[in-house]
Amino acid sequence: MLKNYIKIAWRNILRHKAYSLINISGLTVGIAACLLIFVILQFETSYNKFNANYKNIYHIISEQKRDGNIDYNPGVSVPALEGFRLDMPQVKFAAVNSSYGSQFTILNNGESVSASDKKFIEPLGVMFTEPQFFDIFTTKWLSGDKNVLAQPNMVVLSKATADKYFGDWKQANGKSIKIDNAITLRVAGVIEDMPSNTDIPLKVLVSYITWKNAGELYGYTNEWGSLSSNHQIFALLPANMSKDAFQKQIDIFTKKATENKTNSTRIHIVQPLGELHFDTRIGNTLGDHLTSKATLKTLGFIAILIILMASINFINLSTAQSVGRSKEVGIRKVLGSTRSQLIAQVLGETMLVILFSILLALALAKIALPHLKNIASVPDDIALLSVGTVLFLVTTFVVVVLLSGIYPALVVSGFKPVLALKNKITAASIGGIPLRRALVVAQFAIAQLLIIGTIVAVNQMNFVNEADLGFNKEAVMILPGYTDSISLSKMESFKANLLQNPNIKSVSFASDAPSSDNNSGSNFYFNNSMKDPDFNTFLKFGDNDYFKTFGLKLVAGKGFAKSDTVNQFVVNETFIHKLGIKRAEDAIGKTMKLGSAKTFSPIVGVVKDFKTNSLRDEVKPIAISSRKALLSQTAVKIETKGLSNTAKAVQSLWEKTYPEYAYNGYFLDETIAQFYKQENQLALVYKLFAFIAVFISCLGLYGLVSYMAVQRTKEVGVRKVLGASVLNIVLLFSKEFMILIGISFLLAIPIAWYMMNQWLQNFVYRIPLTAGVFILAMATSIIIAWLTVGYKATKAALVNPVKSLRSE
Amino acid sequence: MLSLQHISKYYQVGGNKNYVINDISLNVDEGEFVSIMGPSGSGKSTLLNIIGMLDEPTNGYHYFVDQPVHQLKEKQRSALYKQYIGFVFQAYHLIDELTVAENIETPLIYQDVKGSERKAMVADMLDRFQIVGKKDLFPAQLSGGQQQLVGIARALIAKPKLILADEPTGNLNSKQGEEIMELFRKLNKEDGVTIIQVTHSEKNAEYGSRIINLLDGKIESIKNL
Repeated sequence: MLKNYIKIAWRNILRHKAYSLINISGLTVGIAACLLIFVILQFETSYNKFNANYKNIYHIISEQKRDGNIDYNPGVSVPALEGFRLDMPQVKFAAVNSSYGSQFTILNNGESVSASDKKFIEPLGVMFTEPQFFDIFTTKWLSGDKNVLAQPNMVVLSKATADKYFGDWKQANGKSIKIDNAITLRVAGVIEDMPSNTDIPLKVLVSYITWKNAGELYGYTNEWGSLSSNHQIFALLPANMSKDAFQKQIDIFTKKATENKTNSTRIHIVQPLGELHFDTRIGNTLGDHLTSKATLKTLGFIAILIILMASINFINLSTAQSVGRSKEVGIRKVLGSTRSQLIAQVLGETMLVILFSILLALALAKIALPHLKNIASVPDDIALLSVGTVLFLVTTFVVVVLLSGIYPALVVSGFKPVLALKNKITAASIGGIPLRRALVVAQFAIAQLLIIGTIVAVNQMNFVNEADLGFNKEAVMILPGYTDSISLSKMESFKANLLQNPNIKSVSFASDAPSSDNNSGSNFYFNNSMKDPDFNTFLKFGDNDYFKTFGLKLVAGKGFAKSDTVNQFVVNETFIHKLGIKRAEDAIGKTMKLGSAKTFSPIVGVVKDFKTNSLRDEVKPIAISSRKALLSQTAVKIETKGLSNTAKAVQSLWEKTYPEYAYNGYFLDETIAQFYKQENQLALVYKLFAFIAVFISCLGLYGLVSYMAVQRTKEVGVRKVLGASVLNIVLLFSKEFMILIGISFLLAIPIAWYMMNQWLQNFVYRIPLTAGVFILAMATSIIIAWLTVGYKATKAALVNPVKSLRSE
Repeated sequence: MLSLQHISKYYQVGGNKNYVINDISLNVDEGEFVSIMGPSGSGKSTLLNIIGMLDEPTNGYHYFVDQPVHQLKEKQRSALYKQYIGFVFQAYHLIDELTVAENIETPLIYQDVKGSERKAMVADMLDRFQIVGKKDLFPAQLSGGQQQLVGIARALIAKPKLILADEPTGNLNSKQGEEIMELFRKLNKEDGVTIIQVTHSEKNAEYGSRIINLLDGKIESIKNL
């Protein structure tokens, strides 16, 4: 019997090629899209789970309250570590201090660095850590063991890093490398590479004691007042200890230890390792990204919508097609088929089509997989097939079969044989026209939702990318450098040499660009007062050419004079407004000093507000001053003409000046674009899935209209005989769809408005959600619907009425 | 073999009952060959469908091989006619997607006959109707007479006791029609299959042993030959 069903199913697929093509392509695209989203979700939710102690590992984060402002920081102050250990001996603690962008030089001749030594810059994964770290996290040691990290100036490399540095990790042991050309380290161990789904990437591990010994070089201060996001603490609880009990002990300790030691209220929050990857409060992890649960939910939601749309197509087309099969059903019933046998047959056909679609979807997903990294932060080599995806496909198969197969099967098997044989089964008699209309409305509502999402997201991202930041980000190169005494001594000659190039307009040394993810700040005292105002100022340092190089506009006063130490300030408008000063001129000549500074210095200028971070954040109060020891970056403003040649010239000059360092320059606008990586990805996701949704709903619409054309052949014939023109007929067909689209639009508006309004709340600077967006979405779907319906309707209208009426 | 007692079927149209079958009583014995005649709209096909359990009367009693059909559930009815009745239609009603052999085989599938046995039975049937050479053709590739031959072969494959034929020759030319009627006569005489046919043709009706004339849903006359 099964063979018979499959045979019939196959012949049916071939006989109704157009329907089958619509069905299969809609499902294939839908399933492939869902599969890829599933791969992303699976990857994102698998973070850190490979650790054997996953469920009992906690990350400790700091919450600071000051004057009603709450700040979260993934780091913990240094003194906490020993304190935790003393107070809670049953819990295992370990600290890491990460270093971003450190350079490693492979030493060939003794201690000194030569230009020919290989140099590597590690943006991520450099950690100063203790042996205890490996009591908490799962790592496989290929050589050496955790205890080597108890000694100073020891380094452990991951296998891939060791391969990169020494050609083969087996050669690494005992070799010397220098970190940031400052400390010589001996390779004492190699560990297996971390999987990519970790928030704690381990590439180069330097012993924690090395960090302590290095003092200020890597910001080590054993004080509660200092809190850096680089210094993070993890804990492994014994199996019998609950999260709440742990939090309680931490609270008791924190209260005792921090009272009167900081100028804010400090709390430590224990965060299960499973939440680390999704906690947007802390801004970032030690890894390359964290993901908001909201984004994952949006993706999942889109996947469900897409699969629903594809199933709706299936239902629509199968029930429509079933009219044409009424005769076969009638005959089978007369020949003795029971209803359940017919249901089995129709379901069997559905299964065959869906199975076929799933196989095609797998192939399609395989082709699309390498592009997945453009819409999500997944590794290049992410796998398509896993136990999870196979389970997903099986579930999808069952769900889609049930969603799209049951209803048509019930309709078809319910045909009365006498009516079926007399060809008296029509669209009206099987009913379900309201149902099919409702389904089309649902499809179009989904498509419009995604179209609106796309328009809003794309507009907002255009707005963000083209927003006036208050400074000029175009054609500015940033060259990260170092602040050791040798590097600092070369600064002036380097600048002079750069300016020799006629295509270089201006050069400035700075701590960071006007817009950056740097958040260094300090309390301060204003106008000789001994009491600090109730807000912290954020800080940037630059030389006297900072304003010129970045095109910052001064609204009062002037830039500070050339100086190696802090002796003049320029502040921004937000800064003076927060102090209650209305006119910028009034601020000139007032004095201020930063937290621990000894003397007050005058404010010489007020700079027009510029965007200090991404457009997600408010402009912060900023004080800019000059302090040579902090100017690690060189900013180079160049002519846009011959950009790449000038960039090459800058690089070769840098390499000549600083042979002991690896070049790491980039253009400022690229890093500013990096601020919005996740948002840009989401905008792309919307674009992509709106396209898929529109494609699928067009298939559905096309199916429905071709079905209607068949059903209304006689009506069209009669109307034509009575004198209707082709245009009249086309309008007749279109009218119904316009109404359906109108209804779906009314459904889509509130949902879309709510969703996109939520999303826009992420940005302090955002586009308004105007009626124009919605009208554009409606117009788009109407045009698309017209194009879809038009062809079939015209074809139906062109049929000679003699032909269509003859059969009656 | 079957007995209809006071069978009526009507449709409610407005306040009026529109009778298709109006109080018909009829007995058919095993081995009979009955022809039902009458003008269009006299209720012939409806009567045949009621006998074949494809349609239900509004009221009346219907017994088939001593079972009260009017009391049976759909499943039991379907089991009953699956076992005893074969249908032949004016429009042949072959499944377009299936070949000749597959069409003939289909009723056996629904009676859970094993695959090897089905093959043998189909081969027998193809042989008997001399259509072995056509077994892999699809219905659209056959002439009307050949299609009806396949239709009859399909009706006979499950060895029914009763054949219901609704104008079996209506779409055929006279020569083809004659062949089909000869076949029916042979089946009735040699194999003892009971046959009830609906026909417009006086000549074809006379192949039967009894002619029932219907008019406006009632039996107008019965003629025994």
